Amino acid sequence: MPAIRPASKRKAPPDGFSDIEEDLLIFGNKMKDAQNTPTDNIPKHQAQWPIFQISHQRSRYVYELYYEKEAISRPLYEWLLKNGYADALLIAKWKKQGYEKLCCLRCIQTKETNFNSTCVCRVPRAQLKEDQDVQCVGCGCRGCASTD
Amino acid sequence: MVKSTYQPPPGALLPLSPGWTEHKAPTGHTYYYNAETKESTYQRPGPAPSPINPSMSSYLQHQTVPQVNLSDPAVANAFMAQYVQQQPHTHGQRGGFGPRGRGGFQPRPRPQPRDKPRTKVAIPGCDPWILVYTKYERRFAYNPDKKTSYWRIPEKLMPAILELDQARIRQKAEGKTGEASPEKETSATPAAAPQQPEPEAAQHDYDSSEYEEVEVTDDEDDVGGGLDQDGNPSKRQRTEDPANDGPAEFTEADIAAQLAAMGADYGDMEMGEGEGEGESWEEGDEGLPLSDEDARELFKDLLNDFNINPYSPWEKLVEEGKVFDDARYTVLHTTKARREVWEEWSRAKIQELKERRAKQEKKDPRIPYMALLQEKATPKLYWPEFRRKYKRDEPMKDPKLSDKDREKWYRDHINRLKLPQATLKADLKKLLESVPLSALNNQTVASHLPPQVAGDIRYISLDPKVRDPFIAAYVQGLGPQPEAGEVAEEDEAVKKAREERCKRERALQERERAVAEEKRRQEKKLQYERARLRDEERELERAMQVSKRGLHSQLVEGRAEPGS
Repeated sequence: MPAIRPASKRKAPPDGFSDIEEDLLIFGNKMKDAQNTPTDNIPKHQAQWPIFQISHQRSRYVYELYYEKEAISRPLYEWLLKNGYADALLIAKWKKQGYEKLCCLRCIQTKETNFNSTCVCRVPRAQLKEDQDVQCVGCGCRGCASTD
Repeated sequence: MVKSTYQPPPGALLPLSPGWTEHKAPTGHTYYYNAETKESTYQRPGPAPSPINPSMSSYLQHQTVPQVNLSDPAVANAFMAQYVQQQPHTHGQRGGFGPRGRGGFQPRPRPQPRDKPRTKVAIPGCDPWILVYTKYERRFAYNPDKKTSYWRIPEKLMPAILELDQARIRQKAEGKTGEASPEKETSATPAAAPQQPEPEAAQHDYDSSEYEEVEVTDDEDDVGGGLDQDGNPSKRQRTEDPANDGPAEFTEADIAAQLAAMGADYGDMEMGEGEGEGESWEEGDEGLPLSDEDARELFKDLLNDFNINPYSPWEKLVEEGKVFDDARYTVLHTTKARREVWEEWSRAKIQELKERRAKQEKKDPRIPYMALLQEKATPKLYWPEFRRKYKRDEPMKDPKLSDKDREKWYRDHINRLKLPQATLKADLKKLLESVPLSALNNQTVASHLPPQVAGDIRYISLDPKVRDPFIAAYVQGLGPQPEAGEVAEEDEAVKKAREERCKRERALQERERAVAEEKRRQEKKLQYERARLRDEERELERAMQVSKRGLHSQLVEGRAEPGS
């Protein structure tokens, strides 16, 4: 998640940016709030959750605008990726079958876990025990299997 | 925060049916879930025979009770039996409110056609009962005493109505216009009705309301599709019309109210939105849902009406929660369905916006910036100061202009401000002369100068007070718009099309010429061949002419011929 460069220091955005500027600004403000919230009184592993969630939402927003609604042009989409409005690597995963709803890249990184497996949020709801409420440690995801 | 359209009725809620649990949806709506049957619904599942709703009874307190002659013990008993379960303490009140009592019941325009009562006929033999015909040729039985009406004709009335029908058919056959029935309906005010002790009727009333609950289909209302009356006594009571002139009065408005009450039972959720009755209407009280297509369109209308930005994410819509207050939000029952419709809507909307934008002509971004310079730039401000001071202005934020250009133009402009007026005027004249007559001519309006002029630094360096008359004078002196200019301005596409056509025509001519040439050549060849054939024939003929001297002469002749 590279920082978004300030408007004065970057190349001018392509046409159509003004349509989505406001919503991106809302996401940006949310992200700033999340970053500035003190994390003294919450468990350490939960401190990053809101950051991951907002980043996911914003990436999803850009992804849907380009791939599903076809609302923005290719140059604008690329400009958004380049300027850090969306996570290109995460979007690359969403295009793959089985990863359509992936919450974050860390949850499919098998090498980082003790048993070389993906995160619990990748397990389909049908395979979990009845009424088992999961929330993954990495990003607070409650389940992002494609079948859910 | 998230708001909900669902307003729980004040006071105690109905107890939930066993097995049902109450939950809150992420959108803030309350829904109910049955763990056994795995059903979920927005509608509060009450116990089967719906008990008294406290809000309802409080509403009923303000309703007048039809005046009945309670001195007759039998009537009083029947009356009490009818009312006691809904409103145990209200039958003492009378009169008072009149038609105002139903203030909250102003139905909004509905998508489906509205039915209206047309005529009414008293049913002979069953005195208080009236048969009401509606605009759409449906009919229902109405008892003005009890203020009950049934689409399904109660069995008790069947023979009488059959008789009526037969009479009507006979009348029609005889060519009489039915004048008798309107007369009857005016005389149908059964003033003496309450006096009749009719325990049977009262008894029947309960029976019929019971079987009304069971009956869903109706042989009478083939027009109204799935319309039926649900026979819920509390609902029926709520929509009652207070009679101001006693029970005998049976006005058009009264019938209309009955119809509206019936209409409210099927599929019109907007009906119950009145201010007076709002709380007694539960969400999802609409009974039969609207058709799927209608529901989707309604939801799209809602999105349009709230000016939702089609580019915004769904989460924003939910977080803002503006739309929750609108009744149309609950037309679709699941958030998933809503989201689907929203997606469809936003896609279409974005396309529409794109098309509209494509049609709009493009504006030169320099023009507003130049206007800003003209207005705000002074030699007292350096560029960084100027930029900082006016960074909020639209032309300063325009992404189409680069900061470098802006700076350059600013500096140029400031430098030019120091030049003498005569030079500036000369420069402006030069600029105007450089513009072709097709863009600038005597029809040009001062407010719509061509962008070559309005976006130029020389245009703004002169004070408007001096400049505008100068330009006006110059424009006056110009000639009219040249014809050639028009042609030049013609659409590229048209020009291209014309060129294509020319090319095609030329190609066609070429081909025709080639074909003609070929034809001529063929002809020539044919003639040549024919001539040759004739020659050969002639030769053959000559050979055949054998004289008496036999072959010798032939040979001699043949020898002589080459020589000759």
